[in-house]
Amino acid sequence: MPGGGRCPDCGSTELVEDSHYSQSQLVCSECGCVVTEGVLTTTFSDEGNLREVTYSRSTGENEQVSRSQQRDTAVAYYQQAYRHSGIRAARLQKKEVLVGCCVLITCRQRNWPLTMGTICTLLYADLDVFSGTYMQIVKLLGLDVPSLCLVDLVKTYCSSFKLFQASPSVPAKYVEDKEKMLSRTLQLVELADETWLVTGRHPLPVITAATFLAWQSLQPSDRLTCSLARFCKLANVDLPYPASSRLQELLAVLLRMAEQLAWLQVLKLDKRSVVKHIGDLLQHRHTLVRKAFRDGTAGTDIGEKELQGRGQGQGQGTEAVEGSSLDLPEGKRPASPALLLPPCMLKPPKRICPTPPVSTVTGDENISDSEIEQYLRTPQEVRDFQRAQAARQAATSVPNPP
Amino acid sequence: MTPMTPVSECPGIVPQLQNIVSTVNLACQLDLKKIALHAKNAEYNPKRFAAVIMRIREPRTTALIFSSGKMVCTGAKSEEQSRLAARKYARVVQKLGFPARFLDFKIQNMVGSCDVRFPIRLEGLVLTHQQFSSYEPELFPGLIYRMVKPRIVLLIFVSGKVVLTDYVNLDFFIGAKERSEIYEAFENIYPILKGFKKT
Repeated sequence: MPGGGRCPDCGSTELVEDSHYSQSQLVCSECGCVVTEGVLTTTFSDEGNLREVTYSRSTGENEQVSRSQQRDTAVAYYQQAYRHSGIRAARLQKKEVLVGCCVLITCRQRNWPLTMGTICTLLYADLDVFSGTYMQIVKLLGLDVPSLCLVDLVKTYCSSFKLFQASPSVPAKYVEDKEKMLSRTLQLVELADETWLVTGRHPLPVITAATFLAWQSLQPSDRLTCSLARFCKLANVDLPYPASSRLQELLAVLLRMAEQLAWLQVLKLDKRSVVKHIGDLLQHRHTLVRKAFRDGTAGTDIGEKELQGRGQGQGQGTEAVEGSSLDLPEGKRPASPALLLPPCMLKPPKRICPTPPVSTVTGDENISDSEIEQYLRTPQEVRDFQRAQAARQAATSVPNPP
Repeated sequence: MTPMTPVSECPGIVPQLQNIVSTVNLACQLDLKKIALHAKNAEYNPKRFAAVIMRIREPRTTALIFSSGKMVCTGAKSEEQSRLAARKYARVVQKLGFPARFLDFKIQNMVGSCDVRFPIRLEGLVLTHQQFSSYEPELFPGLIYRMVKPRIVLLIFVSGKVVLTDYVNLDFFIGAKERSEIYEAFENIYPILKGFKKT
């Protein structure tokens, strides 16, 4: 730990924080002795979400103090990796990427939300190359790398948007209070996570879409005319390609929630007008999500009927309408709940894959000559083929006319 | 080989075999240029790859035939189909005048897939099964679960679709050698996935 601590076994001061089975441990890097197990967790919600609390957050100590320790940890991982012959013999490009991997692992263990995209940009490396090396090193060193913390990523990413001060590119009406925007973005990201928009997807585009909606909704009259692309440009942030798609999905969720509020239902909101009411929707989001959606995970037999009807559109799947809502006249009834499922399960299947008939092949069947001969060229065909090959050779070897 | 009856834990869901990879030794030196010239269903680009790529229609498969006489057969949907296909490729090579034999036929790898029909919170699964799971949405949408017994790799997606496979991009080759291992792996994972049905 910063400020002291010796290994009880060998007396070394070289203690490193290591994450094992989502629990932080202090390990002696000299002899491997586990000095402490578990970290003081102070936030109930963090514990509930099985998230470890960083040392600095629970003790209030300065993060800067542990920076050099982080560097030492990353170096230790690199040296550990270098002991393997496959890494020693690797190309320089891979070794450079390996540095990035060690830094990433160290950051993840300290809940520092560094994305792989950022590392690749800094290293001028290809994500594919990074991916291969990262997976290899995690397996080689037998590491348990904690997941990227979404909340931390939102905080650092949002803070990078250049919208908190007026400038030549940012007019006054676009300037926003950082805390307000952060708070709203966090709520929108939480909403997206709850409604299956985050699982299996790259985390960043969802946050971009959420930041945009949060910003727009804080002053809709002036900002509805600004597009997502323009927003990113003036905030000096790259627009990730999937962000537009995430935006549409998030707006669809918000519209479904709005349908549950009688005073919003009469307004017949669309994807633009719903932005004005995001504040209200977020305030009651837990209730609205519960009312607007029903569990898509309920039982496989119900699931089967839903999945068959899926292809004809969502309306078909909503059989279970609450009794009370049937008493209201047609226009005033809140919309029947839609299935709460990841978008990939709601799209109609591209093509029906018929289950193949049970094969009766034994592998010992007789193979007829005629069946094999269909694959062989006749002598004439061989001659034709050879002639065609020769002609192609001649054509490619003739120099171009000047 | 009769399929094992799945336990009642997994109601009516049986993994479907999607791909079988097998190898066989034809035990003779082969002139790949000659094969590519005389066989209609052969591709040979020595600058790109040092083997002939041959295909047959039934069973629909692809073979890689090397000059050493070793052959790899891929694409079959059952072990029996893989063996039948491999025999047909050997026959083609025989008809082209080579003394091809059929030695050491072996199933190298099997890939299966199935659908549990409910969405899965991959973030939750990676937390509770950290030592077996790898979930990096920045790289790949699915969770990679390395089961220890049997030694199978499963790709688990948010949609509830599961692929039981070897994932060569991960720099190792772990796969099922027996159909029963695929069924066993699925039976092991199903109760774990069911635990993540409710959000």
